Parts: sequence; C-alpha cells; structure tokens
Amino acid sequence: MKAFVALVHRELIEHRGAFLMAPLILVAVMFVPTLISFATGRVDGRFTGYLFAAAPTRIYEFGFLAFGAAWCVYLIGVLFFYAADGFSADKRNNAMLFWKSMPVSDFKMLLAKLTATLTILPATIYATALLSALLLFAIAFVSSTLGGVGGMALLGNIALVYVQIALSLALVLVIGLLWYLPFTGLVGAMATVVGRWAIPLSLLLPGLVAVAEWVVLGGLSPVHTHTWRYLSYRADFQVSQGYIENWFTTEAPFSFTTFASDLIARTDWVQTGLGAVFAVVVIYFASEYRRRVNDN
Amino acid sequence: MTDMSNITVPPIVSAHGLKKSFGRKEVLHGLDFEIPPGRIYGVIGHNGAGKTTMLNAMLGLTNCEGTIRVLGEDPFARRAHLMENVAFISDVASLPRFLRVRELFALLSNIHPNFSQAKAQSFLEGTDLKPDLKIKHLSKGMIAQLHLAVVMAIDAKLLVLDEPTLGLDITYRKRFYRRLLEDYMTEERTLIITTHQVDEIEFMLSDIMFIRDGSMILHMQMETVNEKFTQLVVNDPTKQAPARALGPVYEETRFGQTVMIFDGVPRSQLEGLGNISTPTLSDLFVALMQRPTANPETAK
Repeated sequence: MKAFVALVHRELIEHRGAFLMAPLILVAVMFVPTLISFATGRVDGRFTGYLFAAAPTRIYEFGFLAFGAAWCVYLIGVLFFYAADGFSADKRNNAMLFWKSMPVSDFKMLLAKLTATLTILPATIYATALLSALLLFAIAFVSSTLGGVGGMALLGNIALVYVQIALSLALVLVIGLLWYLPFTGLVGAMATVVGRWAIPLSLLLPGLVAVAEWVVLGGLSPVHTHTWRYLSYRADFQVSQGYIENWFTTEAPFSFTTFASDLIARTDWVQTGLGAVFAVVVIYFASEYRRRVNDN
Repeated sequence: MTDMSNITVPPIVSAHGLKKSFGRKEVLHGLDFEIPPGRIYGVIGHNGAGKTTMLNAMLGLTNCEGTIRVLGEDPFARRAHLMENVAFISDVASLPRFLRVRELFALLSNIHPNFSQAKAQSFLEGTDLKPDLKIKHLSKGMIAQLHLAVVMAIDAKLLVLDEPTLGLDITYRKRFYRRLLEDYMTEERTLIITTHQVDEIEFMLSDIMFIRDGSMILHMQMETVNEKFTQLVVNDPTKQAPARALGPVYEETRFGQTVMIFDGVPRSQLEGLGNISTPTLSDLFVALMQRPTANPETAK
C-alpha cells in the first residue's frame, strides 16, 4: 500500500505544472489585478454595496458556483490531457526501464495513474478552487463592508455559504470523476499503447464506432445509432439540472443537503459501477501491453 | 576450515534452450547456461549479438521460448516480485528527469522494500550531487553516479549492468567501476556486466560469456581462460611455419610481428617459438568472433 501511495504521489510530482502551478498562477492572474484595482479605488465600493444590500449572500453563492464550474471545466481539460499523455510518460521520458526495475507490476503502475485521476490530481484543483473562492469572498466582503452592508452577521452567513458550496463542489467532483472514469480509463489505456496519438484517437473513436454500427445495422445517420445515443448519455453529467435549476429561480439559500440528496438520487449508479469495472479492465489490458513493451 | 566444494549451491540464473525471435528473425538461438552466485560475469559481444535481449530475458522484460529461472523464479511471470532482489541499470539516461535527487530517494524508500536511503546518500558523499538538484539538470556522468548509487543502495542478490558507462568519459568510467568493485567486496552479490570497453572491466571479472549472433561461443571462468588460451608473438620469420602447424585460432600482423592465439595448446609446445603471454579479453574476443565455435562449455 505504501508503494502504491508513493506511485500516486509521483504523478503529482511529475504533473505539478498542470495540476498545481498553473492553477495557482491562474488564481494570481485573476486576483492580483482585482486586489490592486480595489486598493487603488478602481472598484466602486458603493455600487457593489448596493448589489450586496439587495441580495446579501446571492452574489457569494453565484460567485462560488461560477468559480466551481470554471475549475471543473479546467479539471476536465487537464485530466483528459493527463490521461492522453501521462499514461505513456514513462516511455516518452525514457524512464520505462527505471520504473520496471522497481518491484511494482505494470498493472499496479497504471492503476496508480488511474487512481491519481480520482484523488490527488483533482484534489489539488479542488484546493485551488477553495482558495480562489476564499479570495473572492474576502474581496466581496471588504467591498460590501465599505459599502455599508457588511458586518459580523454577513460574515457568518457567507461562511455558511462557503461551507455549503465547498461541500457541494466536493460531491460533484467525486460523483463526476466516477461517472467519467470509463472515459479516463479508455484514454489512458489508449495512451499506453499509442502515446499522444490517444488525443485525436479518443475523439475519433466514438464516431468510428457509431459509423460502423450505422454501416452494419443501418439507420438515419451515425448520430441516430445506439452507440451514439449511449455515448451521449454517458458523456452528459447532469449536475446543473434538478435542484440547481430550481434553486436559481428561488431566493432560498443554497443547501448542500438538498443538493446532495438530489444529485445522488439522479445519478445512474449502475452505469457508474459498470464504468468503473470497464476502466479497470481496459487498464489491465493496457498493463499487459506495457509488460511486453520490449517485444512490441 | 570447512571444505565447501561439495556443497551444491543453486545457480542465480539458469537458462535452457533460451530462444527469442522478433518477427521472423531469431535473435537468440537456444542458449544454455548457469550463473552461480557470488561471481562477476562479463557478457561480451558485438552490437546486435543478443546481449541485451538475453539480459532482458533475465530481468523479465521480454518473453522468450525455453526456460529461464532467476533466483528460482520465472522472471517474465514474476518480474515485480523478482525485482526485490534484482537491481539493474539498462540505460544510464533512464532515471526520471522530473524528480529532484531527494524526491527520488524519498520515492524509492516507499516503493522498494530493500532500498536504503542512508546508503544511497553515503554513496553520494564527496560528489557534486546535492539533494535539491533536479535530475534533468545533471550531466551524464552525474546521472550515472546517481543511478549507480541507487542500485547499490538496493540490497539485491543480483546486479545487472547493461552498458552502464556508455557515453561517459574515462574518469567517470574508472570511478564507476572502482565503486562497483568496492561495493561487491562488502556485499554478497552476483554481478553481470555488458560493455564494449572490455579491457576496463577485465581486472574485476571472474567469468566471461562471449555471444555472437545469438549464440554463446564462450562461457568460461577467467582462470580457465588463462590456462586454455595463449598468445604467441613471433618475431623470427622462420618460426612462423612451426607455430602455424600447432593450429592457432587466430593470427594477425602487428607492427611487423606475427601474433597468434592458441586454444588448448600446452605452453611448453610454444616455448622457443616466440614471446608467450595470456591474451587480453579484447584480443581473445576479436580472435574468437572470427571462428565458428570456441568451446562453449558451462562454467563450473
């Protein structure tokens, strides 16, 4: 277990640029100018204050949710490129023989990479999202205080908002990453075999399968096949529907418990479980290829 | 003193009928050999002779026909388990370049049960290798030093070095082999080394294997090599004919002198024909690479 944890940690060290440094730079790029603008009086505190007076916590909720959504989009992007690149990094970096000199099987090595996509790598992005929201809240709170609507009561309320949305974002990440795990596993497995060619191939493959089904079984077009419908269903993680959709139209404060129970109830757990099994199976086959890499 | 000669020690490596093909091309043609523990083996052959393929078979990096056992296990089926007791360097540039030296040691401490961080650090004392240096910023020689420190800090029964000093200058090569020998003296290990710089490792070898075109043409202890092969330098042209009559396995002219290498001819028969000596490994290699077979007996 100690070796496995170390291998997962290795992934963060190797890809700290995309998962740690770049997000921190983005946070700095977004917030340093904002802080400077605020400190030099470029931000109109009174105007912002009016907004806060009309809906004292809404702006915090919207702000954090928007930031959370943006960081989720970032995470999907970097995880895709990580899977398409990181799974073949040992071969590309000429370090394959070194890692093969370790008492660790190829399956364990690839499973550590897959585990990293569910744990340490998204966790760093999540931590950055929390940091960026904290900075946003700090700026907004100071702004509203200067606008005359701040105070200890508001501070308590926004702390509650922060916790509610932070927990919701964590849940979205956990369920979302599990939902998309078969895609991550498939791209990682393809990268183990074809390296960076996995980037175009993983985008091309669903279309090719749908076309193949259309050619063999017929139909209106490739997008009207079972394959296409199924892949469209599996690619869509409907987090913005249900509770969130309704919540936007009300003035009620955001509730983690309601959101969580709604999201858990709407998640297709059978498909999630099947997807996880599929991911482990394709990673196993990829590890068998990796085991024979000197023969290929 | 106890006589240990009758105690049968299981070999570290045993191979029977070891064959390997890439596509239609067979690169190993049924090798049979055993490597006893505690020896230092030199595996010598031309580029493409099959040395690395043979080592890869020992290390579980490639699947071969025939039977091969390392420490009693099938290396391809049990590579991960086997690597607890086997360390190898197959390419001096294979250390992960994104790590710092201290990160590498910390990771290995958790990944390899037989790796000693303290020992690895002690190997680096007195060198320019500092813990905070990134591997990608190290020179080739420093990477080789670091890699050697890593493998020597692993408490392994078998150490395999495939061209470990390739591309290094003479200073680094000498230092590398000196440290390797010092370590061998203090640990109970078996070493298998391949290199093209044969003369640089000759002093430390106990056994040699010559491989040519996927076949083993010589497998012998160094003591036997010294007894079996003789080099004769003939200065007197009238002595060349009687020397040739004794059947040299190799003959060449160097600076006007005729140099012959004999296999199994008693030195007493060669005395009086010229200067007698033991051929260097590189001379023997050149000589034996040019004839069909060279007594591929198994070292006992």
